[in-house]
Amino acid sequence: MTTIRITGLGKRYGATTALDDLDLTIGRGVTGLLGPNGAGKTTLLRCLGTAQAPDSGRIEVFGLNPAVAAERTALRRRLGYLPQSPGLYPNFTAAALLDYVAVLKELTGTRQRRAEVRRVLDEVGLTDRARTKVRKLSGGMRQRLGLAQALLGTPDLLILDEPTVGLDPEQRMFFRALISRLGETRTVLLSTHQTEDVSALCERVIVLRAGRAVFDGTPRELAALAQGQVWLSADPPAGGSMYWRTADGDYRTLGVRPPGGAAVRPSIEDGYLTLLGPDAATAVR
Amino acid sequence: MPWHVDEPLLEAYQQGRLDPSRVMAVDAHLQACPACRSAVPADAEWLDRSWEAVLDLIRTPAPGPVERAAERAGLPGHRLRLLAATPALRWSWLAATVAVLTFGVVAAYAGDARTSLTWFLVAAPLLPVLAVATAYGPPFDPMHEITSMTPSAGPALVLWRATAVVGVSMALGLVAAALLPGPGWYAAAWLLPAFLLSVGTLALATVLPLPVAAGLLATGWVIVAGGVSIAGEADLPVVFGPAAQSGYLLAAALAAGVLTRRRRRLDPGESR
Repeated sequence: MTTIRITGLGKRYGATTALDDLDLTIGRGVTGLLGPNGAGKTTLLRCLGTAQAPDSGRIEVFGLNPAVAAERTALRRRLGYLPQSPGLYPNFTAAALLDYVAVLKELTGTRQRRAEVRRVLDEVGLTDRARTKVRKLSGGMRQRLGLAQALLGTPDLLILDEPTVGLDPEQRMFFRALISRLGETRTVLLSTHQTEDVSALCERVIVLRAGRAVFDGTPRELAALAQGQVWLSADPPAGGSMYWRTADGDYRTLGVRPPGGAAVRPSIEDGYLTLLGPDAATAVR
Repeated sequence: MPWHVDEPLLEAYQQGRLDPSRVMAVDAHLQACPACRSAVPADAEWLDRSWEAVLDLIRTPAPGPVERAAERAGLPGHRLRLLAATPALRWSWLAATVAVLTFGVVAAYAGDARTSLTWFLVAAPLLPVLAVATAYGPPFDPMHEITSMTPSAGPALVLWRATAVVGVSMALGLVAAALLPGPGWYAAAWLLPAFLLSVGTLALATVLPLPVAAGLLATGWVIVAGGVSIAGEADLPVVFGPAAQSGYLLAAALAAGVLTRRRRRLDPGESR
């Protein structure tokens, strides 16, 4: 089932092209957006989230056109959004902040709002922090709170802009488990720099470069782009290829086979690096 | 031999016929004795409801003094939640507004009364405009990105917040004006300019971003009203005289008309 249909989407900021005649369709499940900085990921998410209007092209989400005021509001009722840097009021408690967003999401009944706040706090594991002020929460907890506000009202579409950035491994595992669970029943679109997140979570991955989709497929298909180009060898390659020394002391090369190199199975990161070439250097962390 | 709650005592306990001291004794025993506890029938549904109510009490944030006052004035709770997040209604903003007004009043008593009063009248209308400019949208609302993607985002929320901040800042200004030396009507001379500038800012925000609209009108007001007041010799500068006040009223009505007609174009700072 198609949730999002994008046709000929374009957006410019002065001389910079953020989105360039982009066509996409996205359905239920978890879809990952990968791409170097400035590839247009956040702009695309903001356009889909109705925070920004494109210069050209058409967006349809659940058959609704956000360019039309009434349909935009209808779409916002079915949307949960976690921005890249969710600015949360530091002096609000976690529960008060969620209560505020619940009102913005038109949950006007007090009882209904309280139940919903309780539900999302439980879902992100912050029940015991309900009365803690935002400024006293750790970075990971704030990120969870950001996700909790996105979950209010049980949205059909979740847009998450780099949800795992800056999290420790434990918190990242928590987010992954939660996002994969959410993706079972709704459409989740997440932008990330973490190729590990994509391989762990996404059924589908779209790679953007300079506002265009340069890859659209499964994580396995992305990894396969580097098939026959990843090698392990005792000595470094002569040059021209990307390589690094592993913890075992071997050299892992992406590109031309080094002397004595044994082929290894490529990862998503290998596929991504092969696809983007030099541009990828700014994207992979 | 250990003591246990016998059947008649348990029945009296369940039916609420025991005096408080015996209830406490049975409570204490039940907590320590699983056998007796299992004999007390539990109404799971009632327990769930009670637990929910307790959790509500624990987790629900207590309303602040402003919220409590507005609640007494009849505003619904969810509306208060929206207004409570308005940047210009936070304590820091209110404290700054009070400080500016206090300074104006003190200056009026300490220095040349006519000059101080004139500057008070020129400056006071800027406070509501400043509050409107910061009531919604970037860069003053850190949660604007989240807010802008909710169904409540847009003109209605901007107008609610603007009304609240104009109301509060004008009320504070009125208190300060009442404390000023001089004839009583002088105190009200800034009200219509303030109303015009506030409504004008919102009307202009249907064409320009909110902070830009506020900045333009505020600058224009300071140049015109300040300039005329400095140049004038009369006790009451012409910009606060009866003729000017009629003009402000007419212009405010016009601005309100434009705002009503173009309210859907009210741009709170989104790139739309």
